[in-house]
Amino acid sequence: MSTATEPLLTPALLARLERLELVSRKVFRGRMKGERRSRRKGQSVEFADFRNYVAGDDLRLIDWNLYARLDQLFLKMFLEEEDLHFFALIDASDSMRFGTPTKLHVAKQIAAALGYVGMCRADRVQVTVLGPDGARAPTLRGKSSLHRLLGYLDTVGGPVSDVRSENDLGSTAAHNISLEEGVKEFSLRNSGTGVAVLISDMMDKQGYESALRLLIGRRMDVYVIHVLTPEEIDPPLRGDYRLIDAEDNDQAEITINPAVLQRYKQTLTHFTESLKQFCNQRSIGYIPVRTDTPIDQVATSYLQSRGVLR
Amino acid sequence: MTWLPTLGPLGLAVAAAVPFGILALYFLKLRREPVEIPSTFLWSRTIEDLHVNSLLQRLRNSLLLLLQLLVALLAIVALLRPGIRGNRTLEDRRVFLVDRSASMSAIDGDDGRTRLDLVREDVLSRIEQMQDGETAMVVAFDQAAETVQSFTSDRRRLRTAVQSIEATNRRTDILGALRAADGLANPRRSSQVGDLNDVQVAEAKPAELQIHSDGGFDPVNEFNLGNLVPMYVPAGQANGRNLAITAMMAGRGMDDGQRVEVFATVANLGTEPATSDVSLLVDGELADAASVDLEPDEQTGLTFELQREDAVTLELRLDETDNLAIDNASYAAMAPLRLVDVLLVTPGNIPLETGLKTTEASSVSNLVMADPSFLDSDGYALDAAAGTYDLIIYDRCSPKEMPSSHTFFIAAIPPKPPLDVSAQDDAPEDAETERESEQASDETSREESNVAIEIRQAKQWGYSSDLSSMQIIDINRTHPIMRYLDLYNLLVYQGRALESPDGGDDLITADIGSVMTIAPRDGFQDLVLGFELVGTSDKGESTINTNWYAERSWPVFLLNSLRHLAGAAQSGGAASYPPGSSVRFRVDAGTKPVEVFLNGEALATATPSPGGLVEVTDTEQLGIYEARREDRILYRFCVNLFDPLESRIAAAKSVEVGYKEVNATNDEVESRREYWRLLLVAALGLLATEWWVYSKRVA
Repeated sequence: MSTATEPLLTPALLARLERLELVSRKVFRGRMKGERRSRRKGQSVEFADFRNYVAGDDLRLIDWNLYARLDQLFLKMFLEEEDLHFFALIDASDSMRFGTPTKLHVAKQIAAALGYVGMCRADRVQVTVLGPDGARAPTLRGKSSLHRLLGYLDTVGGPVSDVRSENDLGSTAAHNISLEEGVKEFSLRNSGTGVAVLISDMMDKQGYESALRLLIGRRMDVYVIHVLTPEEIDPPLRGDYRLIDAEDNDQAEITINPAVLQRYKQTLTHFTESLKQFCNQRSIGYIPVRTDTPIDQVATSYLQSRGVLR
Repeated sequence: MTWLPTLGPLGLAVAAAVPFGILALYFLKLRREPVEIPSTFLWSRTIEDLHVNSLLQRLRNSLLLLLQLLVALLAIVALLRPGIRGNRTLEDRRVFLVDRSASMSAIDGDDGRTRLDLVREDVLSRIEQMQDGETAMVVAFDQAAETVQSFTSDRRRLRTAVQSIEATNRRTDILGALRAADGLANPRRSSQVGDLNDVQVAEAKPAELQIHSDGGFDPVNEFNLGNLVPMYVPAGQANGRNLAITAMMAGRGMDDGQRVEVFATVANLGTEPATSDVSLLVDGELADAASVDLEPDEQTGLTFELQREDAVTLELRLDETDNLAIDNASYAAMAPLRLVDVLLVTPGNIPLETGLKTTEASSVSNLVMADPSFLDSDGYALDAAAGTYDLIIYDRCSPKEMPSSHTFFIAAIPPKPPLDVSAQDDAPEDAETERESEQASDETSREESNVAIEIRQAKQWGYSSDLSSMQIIDINRTHPIMRYLDLYNLLVYQGRALESPDGGDDLITADIGSVMTIAPRDGFQDLVLGFELVGTSDKGESTINTNWYAERSWPVFLLNSLRHLAGAAQSGGAASYPPGSSVRFRVDAGTKPVEVFLNGEALATATPSPGGLVEVTDTEQLGIYEARREDRILYRFCVNLFDPLESRIAAAKSVEVGYKEVNATNDEVESRREYWRLLLVAALGLLATEWWVYSKRVA
């Protein structure tokens, strides 16, 4: 395990991110005026439709040219451009604190990058961790809110906690809740729809399916960024070990030999394949990310190629 | 394999429980390193799949555990004291007498292994069975004994010694080997009998004498076994097929010097009837062949005749293969031309000198020339008496006494021999006295032995005619000296007819009688020519009496004389020696080294002693040995086995040693050959390996 001391986003990366925007495969209603097309009709330069005037309508919307030609009152309706709700959900459980850099650090980097892209495009951005700390997450708009975003993320995942210590209250790390619980809590806090990106290692013994179902049940455009360390993909372990789970202190005694290792890799492949299949069947974007991939590459070209950004 | 457990039932049970204990400890106290990982989620699922064979999975590739189990098992097996039944001799000292003679090269068995190979294997296995503390000694013997390894308990050295024994071509004489063993087993008494202060210090050490041989040697009676306990381990099978050449001799015909006669004996010394072709190779080329068909223990003689004048080499070969190959070939050779010493005593005779100095003549003779006055010197007297010269030519002169050499008189006759009455059985006085009396008074002697005088007079050389002109009318071509000569064109001015002693042979007959005659004399031959070649006139000038020296026949005649009169061409064949003999022979004086060739290939270089004596000791191989100097063959001898005892293929059922008949029995008792030490050593080795593997893993 390691603690990330490097900045989440470098100025160079920020400059590149400013040219990108988040992709929403669905059109959502926003809350405020924004840059994105909304289902709502409103004020923009893009024509949407005509409809008959009804008493009480805003007279400014009447198409007077049409009235002169047809002697009937029609309202000229334009597409409304509203903001997009972007949610980045970070799994901050203790299992995310492994690797160099840690999975949590990579998750925060990705969330910050995506959030910054959204903020640049006047989207409504909320980067939050699953669990009670999610409540503190600010909802942000505009580039100037970047420091708030980073400030929040800095409070996420402090020093490495001893998973076996129950008294460590100064860190969110103690709150190892399941994906389902975290997503449920998030859903209760946030009613709107939008783009939700779940950044996690998906290693939940209770399963990830219910959590993802909750998100798509909210008619959100969901992406899953699956973060894995190289050590998880190809464990450097040989011999007799007592493996201790960082989250629930579960222990597994195992003699790791090439055959067992082979078996582990098969299990991992099966796990990622089933997750991918689950996502595909539900129009969830599945994006696997290795922690040893540079964040510049992930945040720009990789996520672009996967359709999260453009 | 038998077991002799050192533990009781309880101990065995505890021992058997040890491996299970190790296994239990392995699982219970398995040293697992705690490692914190993000999630056991995937690992648990992995282990779940492996749960069905989890036990095997745990054991799988656990090298340390396997090594520990193996160590424990080896230790347990060692405690069970495994062993095999071996043979143990009665004595703790053994002497292995290993026969390496020619017969041990016999092929026994189908795999082409020789008898000696089998003996080596047998002795090696006996060495392996030796207990700790037992000592042994290895003696290899053929006609001589060699102590290959003296008493030692070091089996490695004994093995090396046995493996170093190679078969030779020699005959068998076990006595030397027995004496070598005897020296250690039966120390001679060193103390003075009856002297109380002088006690015997050398202790007699009984030893078992294992004779590994096929028994192909004569009974040994002049040997006392003493503390030696003999045991005869026969080598080889009781049956076999072997035809052998047991004798071969070559010589020239008595009457015909050109004819080479070869005699050989072929014997069937195997146990089965045998047939074979016999080839005679002359100078390496097939010259004659015969066939033999012999029942066991039968033998037959073979005779071959060849017309060869030169010194040929002969090889007789049995064409069929049998169990023993070494006796299937034998060698003989005709002796090479000898270098003869010739003394020419002449007042001057250029044709004769020239004829004796031709290249051909020089190659077989050393010519020494002297004036007739030399005949009166002491030097001549010594040389004549000692027989220094092979041939002395007296040209128009005659010695006072006949020398101990062959002679050739030209226009002179041999002197009358001294009176010899020793032939008389009733001679009252000894020969020396008679000779003195003869010198004192010739007349008295004649009166005393009238009969002898008559006999001597009848045998005298003399002239039967006066000097007169003559015409040759006949020559004796059958005599070797006259071979190839055509003398009918010979012109002789004048000569005298000769009278020869008994046994004389007329070689040239003229109208006046025999003018050249040869006669024997006490083992020598005297050739007398009745006419001069060159003469001296009254004025002292040289005159010519014949045209012979201008004829082609003249040098041929001289060469014939050197060969057959002086003895350059010996009629005998080369001598044959058994393999391994030390052969000594004399070459002409001079210390220039001679090269020894075996069957045409260079073998060694030997330097003659100042007396011209050469000794060749490396005669292991059969064949024809030649001593050469500058391509001239000086001496020739053959090495052949010719030993029916060696060729007799069947192994003897018993041998006789020191008046004791030793049967081919096994005087051994069974003993255990234990392996627990080996097992413990293996266990220790494994333990070391385990430690190494462990350290490597921990590091």
